[in-house]
Amino acid sequence: MTELALLVQGLLDGSIYALIAVGLTLVYGLLRILHVAHAALFTLGGYVGVVVTNETGSFILALVAAMIVAGIAGMIIYRLVYQPILHLPPYVALIASIGLFIAMQEGFRFYDEQGVSYVNPPVQGTLELAGQTLQLAKIVTFFVAIILIGGLGLLAAKTRTGVAWRATVTMPAMAESFGINIIQVRYINFFIGSALAAVAGVMVSLTTNLVEPTSGDVWSYKALAIIVLGGLGSMRGTLIACFALGVLEAFATTTCVPLGNIQICLGEIMNRDAIAFAFLVIVLMIRPQGLFVRA
Amino acid sequence: MTTVLEVRDLRVVFGGVTAVDGVSFSVDDGQLLGLIGPNGAGKTTVMRSITGIVRPTSGNILLDGQRVTGLPIHRRMRRGLALSQQLVRPFREMSVIENVAFAAGYRKTGNPLKSLVTFDWTQERARATELLAMVEISSYADADTGSVPLGVLKRLEVARALALDPKVLLLDEPLAGLNSNEAVTLGDTIKRLNGDGLTVVLIEHNLGEVMRICPRLVVLDNGRKIGDGPAQEVMADPDVRAAYLGTGAGGSHAAA
Amino acid sequence: MEDLLNAYDMSLIRTAAVMVIMALSLNLITGFCGQISLGHAAFMGVGAYTSVVLSINGVDFILGTLAGMALAGILGILVGLTSLRVRHDFLAITTMGIVFLFSGIVEQSSFLGDTDGLSGYPHPAYGDFAYMVMTILLAIAVMLLSIYIRRSWMGATFKSIGDDEDTARILGIDVSLYKLAAFVMGTSLAGLAGSLYAHQTTIIQAENFGFIESITVLSMVVFGGVGSIAGVTVAAIVLTLLPLWSQFIGDYKLLFYGGLLFLMMRFAPYGLAGIVVRLQRLVFRRTGDTG
Repeated sequence: MTELALLVQGLLDGSIYALIAVGLTLVYGLLRILHVAHAALFTLGGYVGVVVTNETGSFILALVAAMIVAGIAGMIIYRLVYQPILHLPPYVALIASIGLFIAMQEGFRFYDEQGVSYVNPPVQGTLELAGQTLQLAKIVTFFVAIILIGGLGLLAAKTRTGVAWRATVTMPAMAESFGINIIQVRYINFFIGSALAAVAGVMVSLTTNLVEPTSGDVWSYKALAIIVLGGLGSMRGTLIACFALGVLEAFATTTCVPLGNIQICLGEIMNRDAIAFAFLVIVLMIRPQGLFVRA
Repeated sequence: MTTVLEVRDLRVVFGGVTAVDGVSFSVDDGQLLGLIGPNGAGKTTVMRSITGIVRPTSGNILLDGQRVTGLPIHRRMRRGLALSQQLVRPFREMSVIENVAFAAGYRKTGNPLKSLVTFDWTQERARATELLAMVEISSYADADTGSVPLGVLKRLEVARALALDPKVLLLDEPLAGLNSNEAVTLGDTIKRLNGDGLTVVLIEHNLGEVMRICPRLVVLDNGRKIGDGPAQEVMADPDVRAAYLGTGAGGSHAAA
Repeated sequence: MEDLLNAYDMSLIRTAAVMVIMALSLNLITGFCGQISLGHAAFMGVGAYTSVVLSINGVDFILGTLAGMALAGILGILVGLTSLRVRHDFLAITTMGIVFLFSGIVEQSSFLGDTDGLSGYPHPAYGDFAYMVMTILLAIAVMLLSIYIRRSWMGATFKSIGDDEDTARILGIDVSLYKLAAFVMGTSLAGLAGSLYAHQTTIIQAENFGFIESITVLSMVVFGGVGSIAGVTVAAIVLTLLPLWSQFIGDYKLLFYGGLLFLMMRFAPYGLAGIVVRLQRLVFRRTGDTG
């Protein structure tokens, strides 16, 4: 496998992390909560995507439906779970979020334990790149992610509402004194973040053609590690960390380093997920404030 | 007179902004020094460099002639510094007297292994009782820290700092948030503690009280020292007057 | 006495005793010292795997258990060292990472049985009943140890750190050293629980010590009331036995735990102990008391 192919593979995976991590960063930036239940919205998106595609035959409709359903679910979570406990010590919200995540996961199990699959999976097919087979769905995911996140970034940079929104995420107290409706911004954050997680859930379901109750787990655990790596609350840091981790995983799982006359292969010592967290622990040892911090 | 605390050519730069620019002063044994200056003058940064919360870019802090610049906060406190914080932060799960007694047990908490085999609070409670009397809040000894007024909590901060038997007591705006009556009585208490031989460095915005109780002032403006000496003389200095009465140009470009 | 309990009862009691040790060990870190850990089961796993590998190689159970505790404690110091350097929020994620590191490494290591786990290893020759009595006594010992620590000056110091570590520092407390002490005690006791668990079952797999198990232990601490020794003990027993006793709760164990964590945090963040305190206040409230 060539370096180029690995790099591409890594960037494609990075875009999925990005779709998930944007929402986590938005929530953390505004509320200082590690939103573990975000994983369940990824899975919810996947379920809605598959079910609606199977019912209506339209994948685009399913994608939009998944975004809306997950977005509204995200707002409901803010209203019913986080808002009433914001004044309590931070571990309270964290643990509540974990509890909600597990409960939602079990809720999916009630609905369909075996998971759901597409009857006629859309966006299938493969592409050859430097001798490496890439799934078309992953490439589409990459561009969808770039368009959505890029568009959001543009909106935040160029429009009045966007600027107010950014200011609120960066310094909520300041924004409030300027008369910005901070509660509204929180709802918007939850909607957008959750909708993006749903997109990730739907797109990943295309590559696996399966959504199960635990589909979102590992992606989301790693997205949590990513926002820590990114310096918590820094959007740019988070996005860089997303692609960095994707590429790192692609290389680390396949590359071997000669040490004397033995070959050390990281992929043989630990699995892919462990590599991601080993990376997190090592980075935090060296840079306890995360890779990227706002000055 | 021996020098207890010395700040030597202290410079602190935060991300390109110079908050403290070459400040030096020393505090003699038994002095009551007022450290003042307009908003953003760098007082708090100097105080934080002394306690170790902020790492200076260059310069040194000496306690009893020994450099403490590289030491972590807790080791400086064990060398003879004590701080009464601006925002009162009592331990909420402990009563007023327990807060002070816990601090007074610093010999027992110096080493985790020792603390694990130590149970006796008699001496510390006795010491805490004395200290509460010294800052005149004995009647609140057993109260819950959540239910006492701010004036009491401010005094609790002072008593808790005194419990460390400090060589120098640093008071960070002890009068902030108090009404004028409370401020005057706490000012009297500080003056009395100093009269009993305690060395005190007082950061305070309440200029009236500072002038009333501090024989000596150090004035900062824009991160530099612009005055140092007997209170009346310093306040008569035109530069100091300009810094206080001027347009407040100092506050706008230096970080607090 | 021995005849009164059948094998199933004894296994229930042993499991509950092990979980009491686990929950109390996490309570030392999270309850006493205020450090959230989402990866406590990994340390239990280190204890379990160490002791099992040693017993396969003919090492005595007690020695193996001590080795498991030591290794878990050493790993605890390493995690503790990371935790000292990072912000509070980071710690939760770092400890979560430890679980994935643990299972990721175990499942790739042939001498640890890969994903199949280890089975068929020798058990101590005490017999079920004696083993059960031993686990109960050890659980009681850990309870007494917790009470002892809470009453010592170390307990007061932990309390101060859990409440406000910046202020503790201002009062001359070496916060880092105390946090490490909490981590090493808590994680080596988790290692003890791991060894006890491994030798009362027939197979251990990495997934027995995963994220969900860590959360289960955390839910015991939270349900009991963070820091409350009695509350956490009761919670560990109840939450271990309920899913085993009740078919319904057993089938939906995770839904139950998840819902419980969520509802407790949402409506009673101070746990059982908090509810008891509130009830006491209600009963003993005097007129005119504004407390």
